[in-house]
Amino acid sequence: MSAAVVAEGLGVHFFFDRQHRVVTPALARLRRRSSDLWGIHGVDLAIGPGEGVALIGSNGVGKSTLLRAIAGVLPADAGRIEARGRVAALLSVDAGLMPTLTGRENCMLLGVLAGLSRRRAQRALGEIQEQTALGEEFDHPVSSYSQGMRARLGFAVADQVGPDILLLDEVHEAIDHDSRTPVEERAREIRRNGGIVVAAGHDHLLLRRLCDRAILLRDGAIEADGEFGRVSGSYTS
Amino acid sequence: MRRAAEILVALTESDLRARYGRGPWQLLKWLVDPFALVGIYLLLVTFILRRPGEDPGLSLACAVVPFQLVMMTVINAMGAVQLRGAIVRNMAFDRVLIPVSSAFTEAVAFAASLVLFAVMIAAYRVQPTASIVWLPLAIAVTLVFAVACAYVASLIGLWFRDLRPFVISFVRAMFFLAPGLVAIGDIGGSAESLVKLNPLTGLFEAYRSAFLEGHPARAWQFGYPLAWAAVFFAAALPLYVREEKQFAKVVE
Repeated sequence: MSAAVVAEGLGVHFFFDRQHRVVTPALARLRRRSSDLWGIHGVDLAIGPGEGVALIGSNGVGKSTLLRAIAGVLPADAGRIEARGRVAALLSVDAGLMPTLTGRENCMLLGVLAGLSRRRAQRALGEIQEQTALGEEFDHPVSSYSQGMRARLGFAVADQVGPDILLLDEVHEAIDHDSRTPVEERAREIRRNGGIVVAAGHDHLLLRRLCDRAILLRDGAIEADGEFGRVSGSYTS
Repeated sequence: MRRAAEILVALTESDLRARYGRGPWQLLKWLVDPFALVGIYLLLVTFILRRPGEDPGLSLACAVVPFQLVMMTVINAMGAVQLRGAIVRNMAFDRVLIPVSSAFTEAVAFAASLVLFAVMIAAYRVQPTASIVWLPLAIAVTLVFAVACAYVASLIGLWFRDLRPFVISFVRAMFFLAPGLVAIGDIGGSAESLVKLNPLTGLFEAYRSAFLEGHPARAWQFGYPLAWAAVFFAAALPLYVREEKQFAKVVE
Protein backbone atom coordinates (compact mmCIF):
# COMPACT_ATOMS: atom_id res chain seq x y z
CA MET A 1 0.00 0.00 0.00
CA SER A 2 1.45 3.39 -0.94
CA ALA A 3 1.08 6.23 1.53
CA ALA A 4 -1.26 9.08 0.67
CA VAL A 5 -3.09 11.96 2.28
CA VAL A 6 -6.20 13.30 0.56
CA ALA A 7 -8.45 16.08 1.81
CA GLU A 8 -11.50 17.45 0.01
CA GLY A 9 -13.32 20.51 1.31
CA LEU A 10 -11.95 19.70 4.77
CA GLY A 11 -13.21 21.82 7.66
CA VAL A 12 -12.78 21.59 11.43
CA HIS A 13 -15.29 23.55 13.49
CA PHE A 14 -14.74 24.81 17.06
CA PHE A 15 -17.47 25.98 19.45
CA PHE A 16 -16.86 28.09 22.57
CA ASP A 17 -18.94 28.67 25.67
CA ARG A 18 -19.40 32.02 27.38
CA GLN A 19 -16.10 31.61 29.26
CA HIS A 20 -14.50 31.01 25.84
CA ARG A 21 -13.73 27.38 26.67
CA VAL A 22 -13.96 24.96 23.76
CA VAL A 23 -17.05 22.76 23.95
CA THR A 24 -18.23 19.89 21.76
CA PRO A 25 -20.91 20.54 19.10
CA ALA A 26 -23.43 18.47 21.10
CA LEU A 27 -22.89 20.58 24.21
CA ALA A 28 -22.95 23.76 22.15
CA ARG A 29 -26.46 22.79 21.01
CA LEU A 30 -27.52 22.26 24.64
CA ARG A 31 -25.98 25.46 25.97
CA ARG A 32 -26.33 29.01 24.76
CA ARG A 33 -22.97 29.26 23.08
CA SER A 34 -21.17 32.53 22.67
CA SER A 35 -19.12 31.91 19.54
CA ASP A 36 -17.76 29.47 17.00
CA LEU A 37 -15.04 29.42 14.37
CA TRP A 38 -13.67 27.18 11.66
CA GLY A 39 -10.09 26.21 12.55
CA ILE A 40 -9.62 25.20 8.93
CA HIS A 41 -12.12 25.32 6.08
CA GLY A 42 -12.33 24.36 2.43
CA VAL A 43 -8.97 22.58 2.49
CA ASP A 44 -8.28 20.57 -0.69
CA LEU A 45 -5.05 18.66 -0.52
CA ALA A 46 -3.32 15.66 -2.05
CA ILE A 47 0.03 14.38 -0.82
CA GLY A 48 1.57 11.42 -2.56
CA PRO A 49 4.25 8.83 -1.75
CA GLY A 50 7.71 10.19 -1.06
CA GLU A 51 6.59 13.76 -0.50
CA GLY A 52 7.72 16.06 2.30
CA VAL A 53 5.31 18.91 2.92
CA ALA A 54 5.85 21.86 5.24
CA LEU A 55 2.90 23.74 6.68
CA ILE A 56 3.83 27.35 7.21
CA GLY A 57 2.05 30.50 8.33
CA SER A 58 1.54 32.69 11.37
CA ASN A 59 0.36 31.37 14.73
CA GLY A 60 -3.33 30.40 14.78
CA VAL A 61 -3.81 29.97 11.03
CA GLY A 62 -4.67 26.25 11.32
CA LYS A 63 -1.35 24.41 10.87
CA SER A 64 -1.79 22.28 14.02
CA THR A 65 -5.48 21.74 13.29
CA LEU A 66 -4.68 20.43 9.82
CA LEU A 67 -1.97 18.12 11.18
CA ARG A 68 -4.37 16.78 13.83
CA ALA A 69 -7.04 16.18 11.20
CA ILE A 70 -4.52 14.20 9.12
CA ALA A 71 -3.58 12.20 12.25
CA GLY A 72 -7.26 11.38 12.88
CA VAL A 73 -7.11 13.17 16.22
CA LEU A 74 -9.65 15.76 15.06
CA PRO A 75 -12.71 14.84 12.98
CA ALA A 76 -13.66 16.31 9.63
CA ASP A 77 -16.67 18.49 10.51
CA ALA A 78 -16.96 19.34 6.81
CA GLY A 79 -15.61 17.54 3.75
CA ARG A 80 -13.38 14.54 4.18
CA ILE A 81 -9.82 13.54 5.02
CA GLU A 82 -8.13 10.24 4.34
CA ALA A 83 -4.65 9.18 5.44
CA ARG A 84 -3.53 5.89 3.90
CA GLY A 85 -0.70 4.22 5.82
CA ARG A 86 0.50 3.95 9.41
CA VAL A 87 0.59 7.37 11.02
CA ALA A 88 3.05 8.52 13.67
CA ALA A 89 2.64 11.98 15.09
CA LEU A 90 4.35 14.46 17.37
CA LEU A 91 1.70 17.09 17.67
CA SER A 92 2.29 18.85 20.96
CA VAL A 93 5.17 19.96 23.14
CA ASP A 94 4.31 17.24 25.67
CA ALA A 95 4.81 14.79 22.77
CA GLY A 96 1.80 12.73 23.89
CA LEU A 97 3.54 11.67 27.09
CA MET A 98 1.76 11.43 30.45
CA PRO A 99 3.86 13.40 32.94
CA THR A 100 3.13 11.15 35.94
CA LEU A 101 4.39 8.04 34.15
CA THR A 102 8.04 7.16 33.63
CA GLY A 103 9.60 7.11 30.18
CA ARG A 104 9.41 3.31 30.18
CA GLU A 105 5.72 3.26 31.19
CA ASN A 106 4.88 5.87 28.55
CA CYS A 107 6.63 3.78 25.89
CA MET A 108 4.56 0.72 26.78
CA LEU A 109 1.29 2.64 26.85
CA LEU A 110 1.85 4.64 23.67
CA GLY A 111 3.29 1.65 21.82
CA VAL A 112 0.15 -0.41 22.49
CA LEU A 113 -2.19 2.50 21.71
CA ALA A 114 -0.32 3.06 18.45
CA GLY A 115 -1.03 -0.51 17.37
CA LEU A 116 1.82 -2.65 18.69
CA SER A 117 1.19 -5.82 20.66
CA ARG A 118 2.25 -5.69 24.32
CA ARG A 119 5.04 -8.15 23.57
CA ARG A 120 6.40 -6.05 20.73
CA ALA A 121 6.13 -2.84 22.74
CA GLN A 122 8.01 -4.58 25.57
CA ARG A 123 10.74 -5.74 23.19
CA ALA A 124 11.24 -2.21 21.86
CA LEU A 125 11.94 -0.70 25.29
CA GLY A 126 15.69 -1.40 25.35
CA GLU A 127 16.15 0.01 21.87
CA ILE A 128 14.24 3.19 22.76
CA GLN A 129 16.24 3.68 25.96
CA GLU A 130 19.43 3.44 23.93
CA GLN A 131 18.17 5.55 21.04
CA THR A 132 17.02 8.39 23.32
CA ALA A 133 20.18 8.22 25.49
CA LEU A 134 18.00 8.80 28.54
CA GLY A 135 19.93 6.34 30.71
CA GLU A 136 18.48 6.08 34.22
CA GLU A 137 16.09 8.94 33.47
CA PHE A 138 14.12 6.40 31.42
CA ASP A 139 12.70 5.10 34.72
CA HIS A 140 11.96 8.55 36.13
CA PRO A 141 8.64 10.36 35.70
CA VAL A 142 8.43 12.33 32.49
CA SER A 143 7.46 15.42 34.52
CA SER A 144 11.17 15.68 35.44
CA TYR A 145 12.27 15.73 31.77
CA SER A 146 13.31 18.79 29.79
CA GLN A 147 11.26 19.69 26.71
CA GLY A 148 14.03 18.33 24.49
CA MET A 149 14.12 15.00 26.35
CA ARG A 150 10.35 14.68 25.98
CA ALA A 151 10.53 15.45 22.28
CA ARG A 152 13.32 12.86 21.83
CA LEU A 153 11.35 10.21 23.70
CA GLY A 154 8.11 11.14 21.93
CA PHE A 155 9.81 10.79 18.56
CA ALA A 156 11.35 7.43 19.46
CA VAL A 157 7.98 6.12 20.67
CA ALA A 158 6.18 7.37 17.56
CA ASP A 159 8.84 5.78 15.38
CA GLN A 160 8.26 2.33 16.97
CA VAL A 161 5.28 1.63 14.72
CA GLY A 162 7.33 1.98 11.51
CA PRO A 163 5.29 4.86 10.15
CA ASP A 164 4.39 5.49 6.53
CA ILE A 165 3.23 9.00 7.42
CA LEU A 166 5.19 11.12 9.89
CA LEU A 167 3.55 14.27 11.26
CA LEU A 168 5.65 16.81 13.16
CA ASP A 169 4.27 19.95 14.73
CA GLU A 170 7.01 22.30 15.92
CA VAL A 171 8.02 19.62 18.42
CA HIS A 172 11.11 18.76 16.39
CA GLU A 173 12.15 22.39 16.83
CA ALA A 174 12.39 21.73 20.59
CA ILE A 175 14.99 19.01 20.05
CA ASP A 176 18.61 20.07 20.52
CA HIS A 177 20.78 20.26 17.42
CA ASP A 178 22.61 16.97 18.08
CA SER A 179 19.33 15.08 18.30
CA ARG A 180 17.82 16.71 15.24
CA THR A 181 20.08 14.80 12.88
CA PRO A 182 18.55 11.36 13.63
CA VAL A 183 15.06 12.85 13.28
CA GLU A 184 15.96 14.37 9.93
CA GLU A 185 17.62 11.16 8.76
CA ARG A 186 14.60 9.12 9.77
CA ALA A 187 12.26 11.55 8.00
CA ARG A 188 14.35 11.26 4.82
CA GLU A 189 14.34 7.45 5.14
CA ILE A 190 10.54 7.41 5.45
CA ARG A 191 10.27 9.48 2.27
CA ARG A 192 12.80 7.31 0.42
CA ASN A 193 10.67 4.28 1.29
CA GLY A 194 7.59 5.88 -0.25
CA GLY A 195 6.27 7.44 2.95
CA ILE A 196 5.14 10.97 3.66
CA VAL A 197 6.44 13.64 6.03
CA VAL A 198 4.27 16.61 6.96
CA ALA A 199 5.89 19.14 9.29
CA ALA A 200 4.65 22.45 10.66
CA GLY A 201 6.79 25.11 12.26
CA HIS A 202 8.50 28.44 12.03
CA ASP A 203 12.11 27.31 11.53
CA HIS A 204 12.15 27.42 7.74
CA LEU A 205 15.77 26.26 7.48
CA LEU A 206 14.89 23.09 9.37
CA LEU A 207 11.62 22.63 7.44
CA ARG A 208 13.46 23.00 4.16
CA ARG A 209 15.76 20.10 5.08
CA LEU A 210 12.69 17.89 5.69
CA CYS A 211 10.39 19.06 2.90
CA ASP A 212 10.55 20.21 -0.69
CA ARG A 213 6.94 21.35 -0.88
CA ALA A 214 5.24 23.96 1.30
CA ILE A 215 1.66 24.93 1.99
CA LEU A 216 1.00 28.43 3.26
CA LEU A 217 -2.08 28.73 5.46
CA ARG A 218 -3.93 31.94 6.25
CA ASP A 219 -7.13 32.20 8.31
CA GLY A 220 -7.68 28.45 8.16
CA ALA A 221 -7.45 28.16 4.37
CA ILE A 222 -4.69 27.32 1.91
CA GLU A 223 -3.23 30.48 0.40
CA ALA A 224 -0.35 28.97 -1.52
CA ASP A 225 0.87 25.45 -2.30
CA GLY A 226 4.03 24.62 -4.22
CA GLU A 227 7.79 24.38 -4.25
CA PHE A 228 9.20 25.18 -0.79
CA GLY A 229 11.42 28.12 -1.74
CA ARG A 230 8.69 29.87 -3.70
CA VAL A 231 5.95 29.48 -1.06
CA SER A 232 8.28 30.25 1.84
CA GLY A 233 9.53 33.32 -0.03
CA SER A 234 6.00 34.58 -0.63
CA TYR A 235 5.28 34.25 3.11
CA THR A 236 8.44 35.93 4.40
CA SER A 237 8.59 38.69 1.80
CA MET B 1 -11.23 -8.46 20.59
CA ARG B 2 -7.62 -9.26 21.49
CA ARG B 3 -6.59 -5.78 20.37
CA ALA B 4 -9.27 -4.20 22.59
CA ALA B 5 -8.08 -6.33 25.52
CA GLU B 6 -4.48 -5.18 25.01
CA ILE B 7 -5.53 -1.52 24.88
CA LEU B 8 -7.66 -1.99 27.99
CA VAL B 9 -4.77 -3.58 29.90
CA ALA B 10 -2.39 -0.79 28.83
CA LEU B 11 -4.85 1.95 29.83
CA THR B 12 -5.62 0.31 33.17
CA GLU B 13 -1.98 -0.37 34.00
CA SER B 14 -0.98 3.23 33.30
CA ASP B 15 -4.01 4.55 35.18
CA LEU B 16 -3.09 2.49 38.26
CA ARG B 17 0.42 3.95 38.25
CA ALA B 18 -0.72 7.50 37.56
CA ARG B 19 -3.35 7.42 40.33
CA TYR B 20 -1.95 5.09 42.94
CA GLY B 21 1.81 5.23 42.36
CA ARG B 22 4.08 2.23 42.56
CA GLY B 23 5.24 -0.29 45.15
CA PRO B 24 3.73 -1.71 48.36
CA TRP B 25 2.13 1.60 49.37
CA GLN B 26 -0.45 0.99 46.63
CA LEU B 27 -2.06 -1.76 48.71
CA LEU B 28 -2.24 0.47 51.77
CA LYS B 29 -3.95 3.25 49.75
CA TRP B 30 -6.54 0.75 48.50
CA LEU B 31 -7.26 -0.57 52.00
CA VAL B 32 -7.37 2.68 53.99
CA ASP B 33 -10.66 3.99 52.59
CA PRO B 34 -12.89 0.90 53.02
CA PHE B 35 -11.44 0.06 56.45
CA ALA B 36 -11.79 3.64 57.69
CA LEU B 37 -15.35 3.95 56.37
CA VAL B 38 -16.49 0.69 57.95
CA GLY B 39 -14.83 1.72 61.22
CA ILE B 40 -16.56 5.10 61.31
CA TYR B 41 -19.98 3.74 60.28
CA LEU B 42 -19.63 0.93 62.82
CA LEU B 43 -19.15 3.49 65.58
CA LEU B 44 -22.13 5.45 64.26
CA VAL B 45 -24.47 2.46 63.97
CA THR B 46 -23.45 0.67 67.16
CA PHE B 47 -22.85 3.47 69.65
CA ILE B 48 -24.65 6.57 68.37
CA LEU B 49 -27.72 5.33 66.44
CA ARG B 50 -27.86 2.03 68.42
CA ARG B 51 -29.53 0.33 65.42
CA PRO B 52 -30.31 -3.37 65.67
CA GLY B 53 -28.71 -5.74 63.23
CA GLU B 54 -26.75 -8.91 62.83
CA ASP B 55 -22.95 -8.68 62.73
CA PRO B 56 -23.00 -4.93 61.97
CA GLY B 57 -19.37 -4.73 60.85
CA LEU B 58 -19.85 -7.40 58.19
CA SER B 59 -23.20 -5.91 57.17
CA LEU B 60 -21.52 -2.52 56.70
CA ALA B 61 -18.68 -4.07 54.72
CA CYS B 62 -21.31 -5.60 52.38
CA ALA B 63 -22.38 -2.04 51.53
CA VAL B 64 -19.09 -0.15 51.74
CA VAL B 65 -16.96 -2.44 49.54
CA PRO B 66 -19.23 -2.40 46.44
CA PHE B 67 -20.05 1.26 47.02
CA GLN B 68 -16.35 2.15 47.00
CA LEU B 69 -16.01 0.60 43.55
CA VAL B 70 -18.93 2.63 42.20
CA MET B 71 -17.84 5.85 43.94
CA MET B 72 -14.17 5.62 42.93
CA THR B 73 -15.10 4.67 39.36
CA VAL B 74 -17.28 7.76 39.06
CA ILE B 75 -14.49 10.00 40.43
CA ASN B 76 -11.91 8.35 38.17
CA ALA B 77 -14.10 8.47 35.05
CA MET B 78 -14.93 12.16 35.44
CA GLY B 79 -11.24 13.01 34.99
CA ALA B 80 -10.15 10.06 32.87
CA VAL B 81 -10.16 11.78 29.48
CA GLN B 82 -8.45 14.89 30.87
CA LEU B 83 -5.80 12.73 32.55
CA ARG B 84 -4.93 11.34 29.14
CA GLY B 85 -5.18 14.75 27.48
CA ALA B 86 -1.60 14.62 26.23
CA ILE B 87 -2.30 11.36 24.37
CA VAL B 88 -5.74 12.39 23.14
CA ARG B 89 -4.23 15.53 21.57
CA ASN B 90 -1.42 13.60 19.94
CA MET B 91 -2.74 10.33 18.51
CA ALA B 92 -5.88 8.56 17.38
CA PHE B 93 -6.77 5.44 19.38
CA ASP B 94 -9.83 3.58 20.63
CA ARG B 95 -11.04 6.14 23.19
CA VAL B 96 -14.29 4.24 23.78
CA LEU B 97 -12.35 2.05 26.20
CA ILE B 98 -11.30 4.88 28.53
CA PRO B 99 -14.34 4.64 30.87
CA VAL B 100 -14.00 0.84 31.01
CA SER B 101 -10.37 1.28 32.08
CA SER B 102 -11.53 3.66 34.86
CA ALA B 103 -13.76 0.91 36.25
CA PHE B 104 -11.03 -1.72 35.84
CA THR B 105 -8.47 0.47 37.63
CA GLU B 106 -10.78 0.84 40.60
CA ALA B 107 -11.69 -2.85 40.39
CA VAL B 108 -8.08 -3.66 41.31
CA ALA B 109 -8.46 -1.53 44.46
CA PHE B 110 -11.86 -3.19 44.98
CA ALA B 111 -10.26 -6.64 44.77
CA ALA B 112 -7.77 -5.61 47.45
CA SER B 113 -10.58 -4.34 49.67
CA LEU B 114 -12.26 -7.78 49.60
CA VAL B 115 -9.78 -8.49 52.42
CA LEU B 116 -12.23 -6.57 54.59
CA PHE B 117 -14.79 -9.38 54.24
CA ALA B 118 -12.26 -11.93 55.45
CA VAL B 119 -11.41 -9.73 58.44
CA MET B 120 -15.08 -9.24 59.35
CA ILE B 121 -15.99 -12.92 58.88
CA ALA B 122 -13.14 -13.80 61.23
CA ALA B 123 -14.02 -11.04 63.72
CA TYR B 124 -17.71 -12.07 63.99
CA ARG B 125 -16.93 -15.79 63.65
CA VAL B 126 -19.47 -16.09 60.84
CA GLN B 127 -19.76 -19.57 59.39
CA PRO B 128 -19.85 -19.25 55.57
CA THR B 129 -22.90 -20.96 54.01
CA ALA B 130 -23.60 -22.28 50.52
CA SER B 131 -24.90 -18.79 49.63
CA ILE B 132 -21.29 -17.68 49.23
CA VAL B 133 -21.49 -19.11 45.69
CA TRP B 134 -23.46 -15.97 44.76
CA LEU B 135 -20.46 -13.76 45.51
CA PRO B 136 -18.83 -14.00 42.02
CA LEU B 137 -22.14 -12.99 40.41
CA ALA B 138 -22.51 -10.09 42.86
CA ILE B 139 -18.99 -8.93 41.99
CA ALA B 140 -19.69 -9.22 38.24
CA VAL B 141 -22.92 -7.20 38.55
CA THR B 142 -21.09 -4.55 40.60
CA LEU B 143 -18.45 -4.26 37.88
CA VAL B 144 -21.04 -4.01 35.07
CA PHE B 145 -22.89 -1.32 37.01
CA ALA B 146 -19.62 0.56 37.65
CA VAL B 147 -18.71 0.48 33.92
CA ALA B 148 -22.16 1.84 33.03
CA CYS B 149 -21.73 4.64 35.59
CA ALA B 150 -18.26 5.36 34.14
CA TYR B 151 -19.72 6.29 30.72
CA VAL B 152 -22.19 8.70 32.32
CA ALA B 153 -19.47 10.16 34.58
CA SER B 154 -17.02 10.60 31.68
CA LEU B 155 -19.54 12.67 29.76
CA ILE B 156 -20.40 14.77 32.82
CA GLY B 157 -16.68 15.30 33.49
CA LEU B 158 -16.20 16.64 29.97
CA TRP B 159 -19.43 18.56 29.54
CA PHE B 160 -19.96 20.02 32.98
CA ARG B 161 -16.54 20.19 34.62
CA ASP B 162 -17.80 22.58 37.30
CA LEU B 163 -20.40 20.03 38.41
CA ARG B 164 -17.90 17.35 39.44
CA PRO B 165 -18.16 18.07 43.22
CA PHE B 166 -21.96 17.90 43.02
CA VAL B 167 -21.84 14.56 41.21
CA ILE B 168 -19.59 13.15 43.94
CA SER B 169 -22.00 14.45 46.62
CA PHE B 170 -24.94 12.94 44.70
CA VAL B 171 -23.34 9.48 44.53
CA ARG B 172 -22.44 9.70 48.22
CA ALA B 173 -26.07 10.64 49.00
CA MET B 174 -27.21 7.54 47.10
CA PHE B 175 -25.33 5.44 49.67
CA PHE B 176 -27.47 6.88 52.45
CA LEU B 177 -30.63 6.54 50.34
CA ALA B 178 -29.85 2.82 50.08
CA PRO B 179 -29.61 0.35 52.97
CA GLY B 180 -25.96 1.20 53.49
CA LEU B 181 -25.85 1.55 57.26
CA VAL B 182 -28.57 -1.01 58.04
CA ALA B 183 -29.86 -4.01 56.07
CA ILE B 184 -33.09 -3.60 54.09
CA GLY B 185 -34.87 -5.97 56.48
CA ASP B 186 -34.39 -3.41 59.26
CA ILE B 187 -36.06 -0.61 57.30
CA GLY B 188 -39.59 -1.94 56.78
CA GLY B 189 -42.75 -0.11 55.74
CA SER B 190 -43.29 1.72 52.44
CA ALA B 191 -39.71 3.05 52.58
CA GLU B 192 -38.49 -0.48 51.83
CA SER B 193 -40.11 -0.52 48.38
CA LEU B 194 -38.77 2.94 47.54
CA VAL B 195 -35.25 2.11 48.69
CA LYS B 196 -35.30 -0.97 46.42
CA LEU B 197 -35.45 1.33 43.38
CA ASN B 198 -31.99 2.62 44.25
CA PRO B 199 -29.60 0.45 42.19
CA LEU B 200 -27.13 0.34 45.09
CA THR B 201 -29.74 -1.44 47.25
CA GLY B 202 -29.65 -4.59 45.13
CA LEU B 203 -25.85 -4.62 45.15
CA PHE B 204 -25.58 -4.22 48.93
CA GLU B 205 -28.24 -6.85 49.62
CA ALA B 206 -26.66 -9.33 47.19
CA TYR B 207 -23.44 -9.22 49.24
CA ARG B 208 -25.45 -9.60 52.47
CA SER B 209 -27.21 -12.63 50.97
CA ALA B 210 -23.84 -14.15 50.12
CA PHE B 211 -22.18 -13.51 53.48
CA LEU B 212 -24.81 -13.01 56.15
CA GLU B 213 -28.26 -14.30 55.43
CA GLY B 214 -27.57 -17.86 54.38
CA HIS B 215 -30.18 -17.86 51.60
CA PRO B 216 -29.76 -17.54 47.84
CA ALA B 217 -29.64 -14.01 46.41
CA ARG B 218 -33.02 -12.74 45.13
CA ALA B 219 -33.50 -11.97 41.42
CA TRP B 220 -34.25 -8.30 42.10
CA GLN B 221 -30.89 -7.88 43.83
CA PHE B 222 -29.18 -8.42 40.48
CA GLY B 223 -32.08 -7.33 38.24
CA TYR B 224 -32.42 -3.73 39.48
CA PRO B 225 -28.72 -2.80 39.22
CA LEU B 226 -28.51 -4.48 35.79
CA ALA B 227 -31.63 -2.67 34.61
CA TRP B 228 -30.11 0.66 35.70
CA ALA B 229 -26.84 -0.29 34.02
CA ALA B 230 -28.76 -1.02 30.80
CA VAL B 231 -30.44 2.40 31.00
CA PHE B 232 -27.07 4.12 31.57
CA PHE B 233 -25.48 2.23 28.67
CA ALA B 234 -28.41 2.99 26.36
CA ALA B 235 -28.32 6.68 27.23
CA ALA B 236 -24.59 7.35 27.55
CA LEU B 237 -22.76 4.95 25.23
CA PRO B 238 -24.09 6.28 21.89
CA LEU B 239 -23.46 9.85 23.09
CA TYR B 240 -19.96 8.95 24.24
CA VAL B 241 -19.16 7.27 20.91
CA ARG B 242 -20.27 10.43 19.09
CA GLU B 243 -18.46 12.78 21.45
CA GLU B 244 -15.14 10.91 21.60
CA LYS B 245 -14.32 12.16 18.10
CA GLN B 246 -14.36 15.69 19.54
CA PHE B 247 -12.23 14.96 22.63
CA ALA B 248 -9.03 16.47 21.22
CA LYS B 249 -10.83 19.81 20.93
CA VAL B 250 -11.94 19.99 24.53
CA VAL B 251 -9.13 18.43 26.59
CA GLU B 252 -6.77 20.99 28.06
